[in-house]
Amino acid sequence: MWRLIPGQALASREWDGEAVLYNDLSGSTHLLDGAVIDLLHALRDRPDTTVGLAERLAGRFEVEGDLVAAIGDMLSALAGLDLIESC
Amino acid sequence: MRLPLLVRALRDPGVVRGLDAAGWDMLLRQAGAANLDAALLVLLEDAGLLDIMPAAPRAHFEWTRAAVASHARATRYEVRQIGQALAGLGLPLILLKGAAYAMAGLGAGRGRLFSDIDILVPKAHLSEVEAALMMHGWITTHHDAYDQRYYRQWMHELPPMQHARRGNAIDVHHAILPETAPVRPDPDSLRAHARPVDGMPGLAVLAPHDMVLHSAVHLFFDGEFDKGLRDLFDLHRLLGQFGAEPGFWAGLPARARALQLGRPLFYALRYCRLVFGTAVPEEVMDVVAQDGPPPAMRPLMDSLFERALRPLHPSCETRASAIARFLLYVRGNWLRMPPLLLSRHLFHKAFIAPRAQTTP
Amino acid sequence: MLTVGMIAPAELRARLSGDGLVLRTGPFTNLIRSNVPHLIDTVALMYADYPVEPGGGFADFHLDYSLARGMRRWFHAQVRFSYDGSTPFQPLPLAQAYPMLEWTMNWCVSQRAHTYLIIHAAVLEKHGRAIILPAPSGSGKSTLTAALLGHGWRLLSDEMTLVDLDDGNVVPLPRPVSLKNASIDIIRAFRPDAVLSRPVEQTTKGTIAHLKVPAGSIARAVEPARPAHIVFPCWEAGAPLQLELLPKARAFMQVADNCFNYQVLGARGFGALGRLIDASDAHLFRYSSLPDAMGLFERLALGEA
Repeated sequence: MWRLIPGQALASREWDGEAVLYNDLSGSTHLLDGAVIDLLHALRDRPDTTVGLAERLAGRFEVEGDLVAAIGDMLSALAGLDLIESC
Repeated sequence: MRLPLLVRALRDPGVVRGLDAAGWDMLLRQAGAANLDAALLVLLEDAGLLDIMPAAPRAHFEWTRAAVASHARATRYEVRQIGQALAGLGLPLILLKGAAYAMAGLGAGRGRLFSDIDILVPKAHLSEVEAALMMHGWITTHHDAYDQRYYRQWMHELPPMQHARRGNAIDVHHAILPETAPVRPDPDSLRAHARPVDGMPGLAVLAPHDMVLHSAVHLFFDGEFDKGLRDLFDLHRLLGQFGAEPGFWAGLPARARALQLGRPLFYALRYCRLVFGTAVPEEVMDVVAQDGPPPAMRPLMDSLFERALRPLHPSCETRASAIARFLLYVRGNWLRMPPLLLSRHLFHKAFIAPRAQTTP
Repeated sequence: MLTVGMIAPAELRARLSGDGLVLRTGPFTNLIRSNVPHLIDTVALMYADYPVEPGGGFADFHLDYSLARGMRRWFHAQVRFSYDGSTPFQPLPLAQAYPMLEWTMNWCVSQRAHTYLIIHAAVLEKHGRAIILPAPSGSGKSTLTAALLGHGWRLLSDEMTLVDLDDGNVVPLPRPVSLKNASIDIIRAFRPDAVLSRPVEQTTKGTIAHLKVPAGSIARAVEPARPAHIVFPCWEAGAPLQLELLPKARAFMQVADNCFNYQVLGARGFGALGRLIDASDAHLFRYSSLPDAMGLFERLALGEA
């Protein structure tokens, strides 16, 4: 199960499919694909598993190959940035 | 003798009501020189005095506010990262000084900026702690062999470590005074009395008595008075907050004696009262005075400390202050290191080790 | 309004070596003191049109440039900078006193003025549109700036673009334009009318000279400007003129990288920069010909490019 780390407000701006996000915890700013913002918003709505997220976002993501694996990779990367945590 | 404007404002923020433009100029410059501008912002804001301020000094306080907020966020994150790095070792993470005040939500932590995070760990685990930090991105500084020896053997800490990516510094201590000092406040006792921080599992700070005594030791043994007034103000705030807790004053002298810190406590209480008017019960002063220097020495110590503790600013500076500060510097180091080692250390510091000056 | 140029030289010298001179630069006041004769002369030249405020009040920055004491005074004479009693930098050779003044005035603002998002960039305005030029050294930014100033452009700043955190306006901080090495001769040739300080050699950045700011830019320092374009200039010998639109998210990150205080400002800085990126187009700009570059900038200012 994954969730947003408490305290992350997800301040973000998006232009033409690319986004920047402010990390309230570390003070860093990240350049992300717009799809990753969708992923974060989905987690903010409610915590979920990798499979659960893949189902919810299937209609909005265009990914070559395994969607669940791709989302799994994104989640690991986001955890490394202290944006989300497993729970 | 009139106290400097900054000290008067810290004692009673209301004095700023009477300031003209030149007065505000002087106040902010003294505050900047003493590293107390952030603390002054907090005091003035709490007293509802920001709004009566003219626009020009007001802007400076807004500049300071941004730095304070950024520092607070960086502290929380850094403590979190340290906690994660050391989680596997099964040791409570005991914070010291500024980081402790901040994370424990103490008044002394508000508007208190600092550049390093200090932690206390058992001596037996020092190597594991160093290894765990290195695995998580911290690297040692002070690579000069002399400095390495200074820190590891003679002082009470690992050489400061710096995070390779974030650049933040951590000082790992296993005691609060070096092994060469004439007194030995027992680190096991300090750790045994440590208090967990509400809402932050694994995080602890020293007990109130010990926090006050550590601050006193830091000020009166360290010998470097650049932040003297700020450190004394820390003590004033700590005493003000803890003094309201039942049993605090009654137990303080005995705890000081148990840790062999009666002398620093004497100075702490004496100068907090003199400079900031801290409310110290008379009976406590009487007991603590027995651990003070011989009465004949007191006027000399008073004048040395009084001058040294002034804000480092041209408006407060006299030639006598500079000498006082130097004498106390030498004295401070003597209390921590035996005289033979001392002269070698001072010589090396001044002439061999290149000193990069950090920006304020 | 009293300006530096209205003060008699003897009086100026007396003030600077005594209680100090309060110089206004954009939104800031600077109490400047110095006993270095050639520094006093250069201030008289470069800051002639700048407002002087009465002493004995509140000044934002207190800056002292003094002959360094000690034996070195006569052999390798040095100038020491003091900021309010502290000396954050090593002394420099006496000849570098004026560049030191410019660098330390920049340092003060970039370290402290956190009611603005401060971008390491030049910013100029014409026809109501401000163009921000973020650029590291060597990009030709200052040469371009100096050239444009001779053609009706208003200087808001050469080194530090101040963006108001609340309304997004660029607040002017017009100060002399720093030119390095080859740029000095280029500008001398391109703009014979320009007033330059005497070049100072062997600084850590090579040979430095400063260009005096047109009086009009100083007079209009109280007028903020709306940002319209962000241009990353890149001079390259023989390169054809090329203006390439940058994707906004990437432009955001590049500008953030070029800010002095983006980190300190946290979420507030994030918001302000986002609004700046909303309001302006960002471009990568390659050029080799100064006149061609200026023609393109004219079109940008008119909203045509």
